[in-house]
Amino acid sequence: MLVKLAWNGMKSKRKDYIILLTGLVMSIAIFYMFQTLALNKDFTSDNAMISSMQLVFHVGSFLLAVITFFYLLYTNTFLLSLRQREYGMFLLLGAKKSHLKRLMFLENLLIGTAALVVGIAAGTVLSGITAGMVMGQLGEDLEGYHSFYLPSLVVTLLFFLLLFVVTAVWNHIKLSKVQVLELVHADTTSDRMPSRPKVNIVMMAAGIISLTGGWLSLIFMEQLREKGILSAAILTTLGTYLLFSSLLPVLLKAVKEKGAWKEKGIRAFTLSQLTFRVQNLKKFLATAAMLIALGAGAISGGMAFKNNAPVFAEQAGFYDAVVHNAGPEEEEILDDITFTDAQQYRYKKAGDYTFYLKEDLENQPPKMRTSSGGVKILDNGLPEDRESLADVKAARDPGSEWTRFLQSSFARDYSKKPLIVNRSLYESIDAEEEVVFAGKSDDFMAYHDEFAALDQIKEQKMEAAEGEHYYSQSKYGMYESYQTLATGTVFMGFFLGTAFLAMMASCLMFKVLSGAAGDVPRYRMLQNIGVSRDLLKRSVAAELFIIFLIPAVLGLAHVLIGMNMFSFILLEPYYRIWVSLLVFIVLYFLYYGLTVKMYQGMVLPQRK
Amino acid sequence: MTSPVVEVNNVNKVYGGRAEASYQALDNVSFSIQEGEFVGVMGASGSGKTTLLQAIAALDRVSSGQITIAGTNVTDMKEKELTDFRARRLGFIFQDFNLLENMTVYENIALPLFLQNQKGKSVRESVYRAAEMLGMEDTLSKYPAMISGGQKQRAAAARALVHHPSMILADEPTGALDSGNAKGLLETLQHLNETYDVTTMMVTHDAFSASYCERILFLEDGRLYKEMQRTGSREEFFKQILDEQAEAGKNKL
Repeated sequence: MLVKLAWNGMKSKRKDYIILLTGLVMSIAIFYMFQTLALNKDFTSDNAMISSMQLVFHVGSFLLAVITFFYLLYTNTFLLSLRQREYGMFLLLGAKKSHLKRLMFLENLLIGTAALVVGIAAGTVLSGITAGMVMGQLGEDLEGYHSFYLPSLVVTLLFFLLLFVVTAVWNHIKLSKVQVLELVHADTTSDRMPSRPKVNIVMMAAGIISLTGGWLSLIFMEQLREKGILSAAILTTLGTYLLFSSLLPVLLKAVKEKGAWKEKGIRAFTLSQLTFRVQNLKKFLATAAMLIALGAGAISGGMAFKNNAPVFAEQAGFYDAVVHNAGPEEEEILDDITFTDAQQYRYKKAGDYTFYLKEDLENQPPKMRTSSGGVKILDNGLPEDRESLADVKAARDPGSEWTRFLQSSFARDYSKKPLIVNRSLYESIDAEEEVVFAGKSDDFMAYHDEFAALDQIKEQKMEAAEGEHYYSQSKYGMYESYQTLATGTVFMGFFLGTAFLAMMASCLMFKVLSGAAGDVPRYRMLQNIGVSRDLLKRSVAAELFIIFLIPAVLGLAHVLIGMNMFSFILLEPYYRIWVSLLVFIVLYFLYYGLTVKMYQGMVLPQRK
Repeated sequence: MTSPVVEVNNVNKVYGGRAEASYQALDNVSFSIQEGEFVGVMGASGSGKTTLLQAIAALDRVSSGQITIAGTNVTDMKEKELTDFRARRLGFIFQDFNLLENMTVYENIALPLFLQNQKGKSVRESVYRAAEMLGMEDTLSKYPAMISGGQKQRAAAARALVHHPSMILADEPTGALDSGNAKGLLETLQHLNETYDVTTMMVTHDAFSASYCERILFLEDGRLYKEMQRTGSREEFFKQILDEQAEAGKNKL
């Protein structure tokens, strides 16, 4: 009978349960998606860049597990609060506590199982879609990635079963301690908690120390390496939670007590709303801050890898295009490109050597990229004139700057050694005169397609030419191969970022829902005494704006500092970071708008 | 007692659309309230008294008829104007206090003023004056959860008064109070009415509460069927009301 009553009770709160289930399904799906990436050795070892980041992946896994744990506790509290009154009534009517506990366990089991089945199914579908999207967008194949992967499934099942057992025990303890009347009057108990200033100060200090430690580990990641990743993950998370718990209530209280400012329109109410619920909010906001940091960090990280491609290519050499004996087809392409630097050098090939005409090199000194990333003009140090070709060969200095430059930048056939000769010797060589064009465009990325076309022609030429083995790789070629390498990383970053953001989305959904029911009478009352709908809407928007803003600020601070973490694998971890931040902020704002709309729909009385 | 504050003319309110499902909550109701009057509306549950109050408060639209408050016709106002009108011209006291428990008593009382964008000293003065009128200067810094039901209702009364409304509308203000606190609140309302000429309209089903009014309108099934003016002492008036109720009860038998 009690089971039937409980079932009816659940049915009557169908909407709340659907939301709860959605959140659980979401977190299970995300966890599973992550595991398909982290555990699949074929995939991670095939993608070179990712396999070197295996550790980062495991730390990510750990963080996800921690956050999922807190998230589950949060939803569990919500579940308990949904049922409190009803359970209280059952107790009042004479049901035994042990019976209720069994009932609750059954309920947890039911929801857990349903969530697991749907969650894993959703995870499989979602990871398939995400992978397909990323592959389609990048035109790359993610080799070895499977959206359905048995080990991931097992790990997900075990992890969540463990979590469900923990929450069941938690509920069990909670229910044992509680008094009947407390349950019946659950709705009327105040959210206010006694403040303990001393504990608060200790927490604040610990929070600041942890956060500083975490940030320092991120900044000095290069020195700390593995140890740094671990300490950064633990200390930053701890610091965020401690600071939000201790500082937020104090901060809001301070704002609230600043008389004049708040005494305008509905501000007093909005602020009171915030202060009042800060006790419930603070842990949630800390979680949100961490999720934002991880989400934005992952997107930033992934994009930094891909953004790194032009930078990486730029490092490879000064000239964007090097064309030997340009044919009409190539001339046409070159005409379309605006070059800031364009030179032609004549040379002849004979035996094992390539002979460059000295006066060309002298009259138009070439430029080269130094190892530190700067540009150097080669305008001195040309070898002295010799009497004969034999002398030139004998005086060859393989270590000189000129040799290295000609070998790496202009070499058409790597097996031929470059030499520089004056005009008279040059003319004495019995070989056809050839010419190499070297040009630096005003914007490498703008002529992306032209460089690709040049490379293609070069490839055809190379196939046609017999006996020539090696062309030095073009800048475009470097760019291309790096791009391929980065694909896996972008995929991971995108995947992780979306996962964390989605996680936060469902977290916020809970915040909205569990708070909204209690807010309805407040907003109705305000409307009764003559506060306009518009003003109430604005109050909701303002309240939620602050709720959104606080974790965003700290979360983004985490990202800005945390990008240091990649300093030992990326040339420029902060390269174009604003793009990814912008993507995040736009997403975040969209979500903010949606939350405001949902919240307003729930708390504001319907227009008659 | 010069001009009418409220004039209700042939007001009808029908809930539901179809003939068989519709329900007439107010049936051709007409009356007026003079400035400085303390009027009670009595009736059993379902007699339409709350509907009437909500119509006057412009919380609900009427099906037909006209309601004029302080010279303004509220029946054909726009939603936005109505809100503004409520905020400036009316004060409310509800059965369940309707205090915002996340704000202090001071902030609760000051809210109508904040909403009119009043600031600083004038707000403080008005709040203290209203608190003084209700004898609750000591509780201003407390939160509603920390004070008694009687104090809560007095705080609600102070909030209803603080912006000098044309009229106070009270909906079963003693419904959630014990007899001591109820008596206290009624005496306060009477005192406010007598000393400060605050026009008050109170909806109640309780004869004792009603006996504090000067005039009582009796509602049944949405119809205004009787009006009673207090002439003698409150005790006599109380008896008259009881008799009237007994009479009405007898007719039903």
